[in-house]
Amino acid sequence: MTGQGPSVRGPFDPGLQPERTELAWRRTALAIAIGSLVSLRIFPLMLPSAFAAWGFVPGAVGLVAACALWSAARRRQLRMTAWLHSTLPGAMPGAMLGAMPAGPTAPQDPPGGGMLLALTVLAAAFGILCIGIVVVSSLLANAG
Amino acid sequence: MRRFPASVYAIGEEPDPRFSLANERTFLAWTRTGLALIAGGVALEVLGLDLHVGFRLAASLLLIITGTAVAPLAWWEWMRAERALRQSRPLPGAFSAVVLAVVVTVVGLLVVAGVLWR
Repeated sequence: MTGQGPSVRGPFDPGLQPERTELAWRRTALAIAIGSLVSLRIFPLMLPSAFAAWGFVPGAVGLVAACALWSAARRRQLRMTAWLHSTLPGAMPGAMLGAMPAGPTAPQDPPGGGMLLALTVLAAAFGILCIGIVVVSSLLANAG
Repeated sequence: MRRFPASVYAIGEEPDPRFSLANERTFLAWTRTGLALIAGGVALEVLGLDLHVGFRLAASLLLIITGTAVAPLAWWEWMRAERALRQSRPLPGAFSAVVLAVVVTVVGLLVVAGVLWR
């Protein structure tokens, strides 16, 4: 690692763009985790008592999703960093970061948009669920 | 392995990765905004505030529906911006920002009405 070769350790970009992006994913995962915890507290109370147990399902799913998102963001950042370093002039393919998740070779492509679409679907599904729960609970309040 | 979605990555050339990363963070910020709108709408209904019931429910549902719509909107704008980056075209305008401004204004007016006519 000494000599003229490019440094493959350390941040790729002095603006720390990959790192900031991973932190943005973490904020999002934390927001989902907090929302899930709050929903565990309130959804069972908003549903008819016969269905109260179902009120725990979205929160449980959301907590699992938040954990999955957190670790997927970590792997995404490592893959992105490995790919970025592989694009540096003089980089040797196959001799990349020690922290590479999937073997010693650098990925051919940077990460795509699959994880973004998964998050979109998750957020939209949670929203639709909340519409249903608010409608049900307001119908109950008017009936009772 | 082809990158997903092909409608973005099949066209143009790889932009400066910092721009792609910034676009990704913008998508995440919009997604969190959507989640916050949903949470606000649920909270408005759950807290049992002493507001006009109809206006309160309208404000709550408008917040949640908008929050739900912001999620696919964020994805769509991410694709649009990424395509523009890959083709070195000017970035598209912030359509969802207009939606957000209008909805927040209407929700505010609904809450005011709910306070006045409780």
